[in-house]
Amino acid sequence: MSESSLTDSEMETGELDESTAGIDAGGSTTTDGETEEEVQAEWTDYSFDGEPKISVEDLDVWYGDDHAIQSVSMDIPEESVTALIGPSGCGKSTFLRSINRMNDRINIARTDGRVAIDGQDIYQDGTDLVELRKRVGMVFQSPNPFPKSIRDNIAYGPRKHGDIERGLLARLLGRDEKAEEDRLVERSLRQAALWDEVSDRLDDNAIGLSGGQQQRLCIARCLAVDPEVILMDEPASALDPVATSKIEDLIEELSEDYTVVVVTHNMQQAARISDQTAVFLTGGELVEYGDTDQIFENPESQRVEDYITGKFG
Amino acid sequence: MSTDTRALVATESSTLELAGGGLVALSLLLVVGGLVGLFGVVPVGATVAGVPFATLLGAGLLVLGAGVLGIGAASRTGLVATDPSRSAGLLAGGVFALFGLVVGGLVGAFALGLATAWPVTALLVGVGAGAATVLPREDLGSTLVPGSVAVVSGLTMLSGLVGPGWSWPIGDLSATLYAEVAIPLLAAVAGLLAAWTAAKAYGGFGSRGRQLGAYLLIGANAAWMAALLVGLVAFVLMKGFAPMTRGIRYGLFVQPWTWFYFPPIEEYVVISGPVIWFYWPFVMEGVALTNDINGVLPAIVGTFWLVLGAVTFAVPLGVGAAVFLTEYAEQGRFTGLVEVSTNGLWSTPSIVYGLFGLAFLVPRLGNTTSILAGQLVLGFMLLPLVVITSREALKSVPDAYRDASAALGVSKWETIKSVVLPAALPGVITGIILGVGRIAGETAPILLVMVSDPFPSAAARVVQGSFHFTGSFPFVAAPTIDLVQSSSALPYQLYAVISAGLDQNMAFAWGTALVLLLVVLSFYAVGIASRVYFRRKLNQ
Repeated sequence: MSESSLTDSEMETGELDESTAGIDAGGSTTTDGETEEEVQAEWTDYSFDGEPKISVEDLDVWYGDDHAIQSVSMDIPEESVTALIGPSGCGKSTFLRSINRMNDRINIARTDGRVAIDGQDIYQDGTDLVELRKRVGMVFQSPNPFPKSIRDNIAYGPRKHGDIERGLLARLLGRDEKAEEDRLVERSLRQAALWDEVSDRLDDNAIGLSGGQQQRLCIARCLAVDPEVILMDEPASALDPVATSKIEDLIEELSEDYTVVVVTHNMQQAARISDQTAVFLTGGELVEYGDTDQIFENPESQRVEDYITGKFG
Repeated sequence: MSTDTRALVATESSTLELAGGGLVALSLLLVVGGLVGLFGVVPVGATVAGVPFATLLGAGLLVLGAGVLGIGAASRTGLVATDPSRSAGLLAGGVFALFGLVVGGLVGAFALGLATAWPVTALLVGVGAGAATVLPREDLGSTLVPGSVAVVSGLTMLSGLVGPGWSWPIGDLSATLYAEVAIPLLAAVAGLLAAWTAAKAYGGFGSRGRQLGAYLLIGANAAWMAALLVGLVAFVLMKGFAPMTRGIRYGLFVQPWTWFYFPPIEEYVVISGPVIWFYWPFVMEGVALTNDINGVLPAIVGTFWLVLGAVTFAVPLGVGAAVFLTEYAEQGRFTGLVEVSTNGLWSTPSIVYGLFGLAFLVPRLGNTTSILAGQLVLGFMLLPLVVITSREALKSVPDAYRDASAALGVSKWETIKSVVLPAALPGVITGIILGVGRIAGETAPILLVMVSDPFPSAAARVVQGSFHFTGSFPFVAAPTIDLVQSSSALPYQLYAVISAGLDQNMAFAWGTALVLLLVVLSFYAVGIASRVYFRRKLNQ
């Protein structure tokens, strides 16, 4: 390994010299010491059968003056796993968060462009955020169950949306839907492969679960509102290998019924679980997007190849 | 540096540890003895086991000082294996120099009778003590000053230089230092200094010794604080228990519970049963000429309604304001301004609140002092604390909860209601507990807005009153509502008893104080129980 890293640094310095020689005094070089490579349209052009579930056109996101996403366009097919990979700070999480408009919660964030779910632009006026986020669920990097019982965590969304009526008033009016809630809780937990581990302690606090169980609980909580798209922001990065492999199996299963978009740092993970992969590189650019096999075996961009083979990033 | 290495595992205690431990025990005993003398539990003039207490303290100090000096010398000459640093350090040196400055000044002014030259002795002793601490190796440096202080103070007590009956009128100040204070104080201070050194010696000086020394000082500090609190409560309990419980009578009787007319036998049927009869005059009576034992019931009821009203007024408003400021308002100049003004309001003197209530509320609430005015004024006082603590509690709720809820498509208000507020509740309750503790004992504002007769004979009837429903508009009537009448309250009653001059009845005052303490503690108990309940609900 030390041999190859040595040649890397030699090559980088060599190229750095070249690029500084090529550019005039005021010109900039990229931070990673690579020559700037023009992104070519056909690299990000990915064609597939059927209508795209998510269609992004010329998406730009700024945090204040920081241009986090630079005119990204990509179509994501339904019932598949799409992996977003790239080095830290490349905008892949920002891109993910703009699909369910979670960036709206950040004051300084500004979004421009078009993101369509089933052909409907979600950034147009009159978009119902509640409906959008019901359809596009999200799982976060670190498990964040509510400090409530496992049952309450799962039933939280449906109760708040009025899909399930519980509570004193419902009981007084004879509309208590406990049986329905039980079914929903069991279904969601089974989908998230957690039912066998927690079925006998549904009323225990979720904080007492292990990290991996908490993350699967968060997935179950997301599934309980019956989404069509599930966004996952590095869902396994805070977990141990065993819990990670459970989450990975789960993601593959979920892709039979849901459109899953996963941000990951782990390239082996992306190669294992995803159908197509999008590579973001520094500066918030989508550099290459295509079949996972093609991206990992024969990328078209030199920078993507360098990134995947571990030469930078 | 000593080349002796300490064994990795000590199998038996060394001579050093035995001597150090013994000295620590002796010095702590002296500190306790000093405090006992200072608070007059055992007066300085008394004899303990046939020996005057002052002599006992003096002898103890002498032994302690000799021991400390001895252990330092033994360590320096290598008789015992220790691991001292090169110097005791500037901090210890500075503290001892300051100590020497004071002692030198006192000795110069008092013992030597120097009128204007006492700063010279002060400076000399101060610099000497500092140098003696910093310059030699640590084992000597940290034993010299405390050991000498103990030896010298022990000698002055033993020689009778400062004995019972001694007094020192301090210069032009109209104050006199008596032996009753000076001797125990000297014993406590010298004992504490020596305790620190002895703990260091026990650890063999060096970093382990310093760790033990600091541990002892911090431990002594904590013990002192706890002792102060327990002592305070115990003192009130001691003074107030007898007057509070005077005249309690109880018994078990058979009494008719209910009766009704039973037609078949054309007679009244009476059902009797045992009834527990309990009479506690101090908390069941007011003040009246006809009472054998006067009590504080009206004041208890007044305080109860006062706290309840203030909490009902301030908590929803305060929590609501905190929710708005943390969850909705954009953090900026406005929230900064609100923060500054709430902090300012919290530190505003209570008499100012009282004056505001008197000038603004009283004229608008029937132009008489009333419970309602008191509740509102105390509510104003409670408000800033509730806002401050609730904001802190809300801020400490992880953003991950808010994100998770938003990602499920749940609106902001629902998120606050179902996730954020429950998670913040223990913190909010802590704030309310603190605030109730403050307002329940507050005297100044209620003096102005709530009370008139300090010793009423009957309790305010806030709930029952003369309130009743009527057949005509507005369907309720209440010729007298006690809520807008004046009432007494425990802290005010206490104040009134103490300031009553010739009629002063200190037993009644202590009894009232104890009841006030118990009422505040019971409010605390309710608050703490609910906090424990909600916290357990969050993480069980």
